[in-house]
Amino acid sequence: MTEYIVKEDALTAFFQAIANGRRLLAPQGQGENCRLEVATGPVSLDYGNTHLSPKATFFPQTEKILAYHKKADQPKYNQYQDLGDHAEPTVIFGIRPCDAKGLAISNKVFQNDRFTDPYWKGKYESALKIGLACLNPSPQCFCAAMGGSPFGEMGLDVLAYPKEKGLGLKPLTPAGEELVKAASLPSADLASEIKDLEKKAIEAQGPLDTYQIINERKIMELYKADHWSATAEPCLGCGVCTFFCPTCHCFDIQDETSEAGGVRMRNWDTCMSPLFTVHGSGHNPRPSKTERVRQRFMHKLKYIPIKQDGVRGCTGCGRCVVMCPANIDIRTVAATMAQASA
Amino acid sequence: MSEFEPKVVAFFCNWCTYGAADLAGVSRLDYPPNFRVVRLPCTGRLNPKFIMEAFKRGADGVWVSGCHPGDCHYIAGNYYARRKFVLLHTLLETIGVDPNRLRFSWISSAEANKFQAMARDVVESVRACGPNLTFRKAPLALDLPEVA
Amino acid sequence: MGALETITQKIQDKAKSLLESGQAEVVIGYRKGSTPLVAAPYFARTPSDCENLIWSSFAKLNLANYLPNRTGKVALVAKGCDARSAVGQVTENQIPRDNLYLIGVPCSGLVDPAKVAAKEGRPIQKATETDETITVSGVGFEVEIKKAEVLRRNCEVCSHRSPTMADELTGPEAPAAKPDDFADIKALLAKSPSERLDYFQDLIKDCLRCYACRNACPLCYCPVCFVDETRPQWLGKSTDPMDTMTFHLLRALHCAGRCTACGACETACPVNIKVREFNRVLDKAVQENWSYEPGLTWEQKPPLTVYQPNDPADFIK
Repeated sequence: MTEYIVKEDALTAFFQAIANGRRLLAPQGQGENCRLEVATGPVSLDYGNTHLSPKATFFPQTEKILAYHKKADQPKYNQYQDLGDHAEPTVIFGIRPCDAKGLAISNKVFQNDRFTDPYWKGKYESALKIGLACLNPSPQCFCAAMGGSPFGEMGLDVLAYPKEKGLGLKPLTPAGEELVKAASLPSADLASEIKDLEKKAIEAQGPLDTYQIINERKIMELYKADHWSATAEPCLGCGVCTFFCPTCHCFDIQDETSEAGGVRMRNWDTCMSPLFTVHGSGHNPRPSKTERVRQRFMHKLKYIPIKQDGVRGCTGCGRCVVMCPANIDIRTVAATMAQASA
Repeated sequence: MSEFEPKVVAFFCNWCTYGAADLAGVSRLDYPPNFRVVRLPCTGRLNPKFIMEAFKRGADGVWVSGCHPGDCHYIAGNYYARRKFVLLHTLLETIGVDPNRLRFSWISSAEANKFQAMARDVVESVRACGPNLTFRKAPLALDLPEVA
Repeated sequence: MGALETITQKIQDKAKSLLESGQAEVVIGYRKGSTPLVAAPYFARTPSDCENLIWSSFAKLNLANYLPNRTGKVALVAKGCDARSAVGQVTENQIPRDNLYLIGVPCSGLVDPAKVAAKEGRPIQKATETDETITVSGVGFEVEIKKAEVLRRNCEVCSHRSPTMADELTGPEAPAAKPDDFADIKALLAKSPSERLDYFQDLIKDCLRCYACRNACPLCYCPVCFVDETRPQWLGKSTDPMDTMTFHLLRALHCAGRCTACGACETACPVNIKVREFNRVLDKAVQENWSYEPGLTWEQKPPLTVYQPNDPADFIK
């Protein structure tokens, strides 16, 4: 496939062309407050990363799944009403490659050979994803160390990058090619420029070589290591890391009822809360924050790679690093995991 | 009279105001039927989350009433409760809940007339506030497809 | 040597001597953060750990949060508000006084990273500080900012910057800032009830209910928080605005008369909600009704655990 160029003065027309009547989500707002939401204002091209990861677009914090009536005089009495997947045709511009990879990882959890989650599937498959590559990684960024790249392509239909106040575009899938073609843009050969920029952006991230060691160490060796209580000691147990993580996908099913009926919904849950694992009997297999913190890091760095052919469950977006009130840095934890003795 | 009939959740202490309600009843004193009583051992038992739960579920008003200060069956329960009420009242008023929706009174078990007057006053002032539409949980919309 | 370095040195020396002499098994202080504008909690257990301890105006949390349920002797690096929280925990029997050693830091106010980000929109790669200024830099820029311009909200109005109850002070007492006059809350009270409700509902609209504010709070040590209770379940788990409002109101009520305005809740909030606005309403009420400020002596009783027969409450008929 060839690459394309969007000139600065053609940006507005470009966004209109790719939206083409569909919902367009794009980075809105500057700096730390940049959010991926329905584009009503100018689309930001210069931001570290969006405040929240894009997972909420496909996996909302609260999603209503079904409703039921309890009153016998209602026509739908005693029936479950499927509330659908709430999917709508969407084009998302400006997903960072780390987040796109995070979505691809979650996609394997929600759609695999054993199970398909209809709510995720509907939204995920009705969205075209245009990534925006990173030229200047933030201090918390470490995607390259996680097997990704500031120009990573996993999970994307088109990869864009800022070029002379406009954009360079590289279609990655047939759907992406079609999307870009619809905007009738000048084509260009950008392959070598992309390679150079990617190399520079990777070099701007600090080197991290501990993950290979974690891959090689046995699960129980990592699990039984003696550092976990010290690692967990500063943890407040708030779960900010999980809410901001692009690959955290755990949820809790709740019914909210009234005398008329009820609605079943699923809400984001967090393994940092004792409630996450507590049994009906009151027994809690992860009774203290030591076990909970261990679970989170083992899940990201060991369990997911085992289940997903070596793809790590952390994409290096760095949100947990900056958002954690106690500054528990997954890079430091990974280094500790690699070194700690059992 | 408007068509709106307010629903008030009333939290009465077992020893005083609940007794006053009884006395008002056996004395054939008329009072409006718009409140549902939750009987507490003492106003000191009142956890602020009870009040929030009432509003959340759509109560138009909440009325808390117990023994006069100094008359508490448990010696000092309502003294402690009084300090909590000061904070609760201030907080809800400041965030914009009409103070007429959250009423407090001290009514002894002998004060049937005060009970009658207070009951009328509470219900009428809540009626004047109108239905509680802003400080409640939205009712579950079961009519599809708006639920989503 | 600036005041920051002097304090850091004194903290390290004191921590070392406490650990060596067995007066403390652990010293809880701050270390340098892994990203700019952060100093993170650090638990020093050996004398050699102590060289990681620092003092910085990038300190985020209130370390008294780590005291409840802790056994053994502990020393705490405490600025004014942290020390007051620790005193509160002693008076609430969360930690025995004998197990606690307070290394008091006279504080001149902490830096609010959100204010820095608002001032300097470009991504910040590095941040350093002197006593009066911070310097932030990124790709192609380096900017010096006066600390006084980017202090946390609660630090701008702190009247107890020096932890006078501490076992030891690491420097001369810091001059108090002007006390909180609650001018904004008073101005708010002049508005109509519906405008006020709009204001508070808007304040919490981004809340994710992660409860970081609760978990960062040194007052929140209940074994089971009301939000986690399931029989009955007082709070829905969805992002319903009224459930969220209920959480914020009840959280503030639980902290009333105990809050030392440390601002840990606001720095912990990942979506920058001014969660302390609710607490401030109650701080104001506590001061006006009972002239009480928490954590100033070892003997004082929280205002909701005591009463006066003639306490004013005119609104009760």
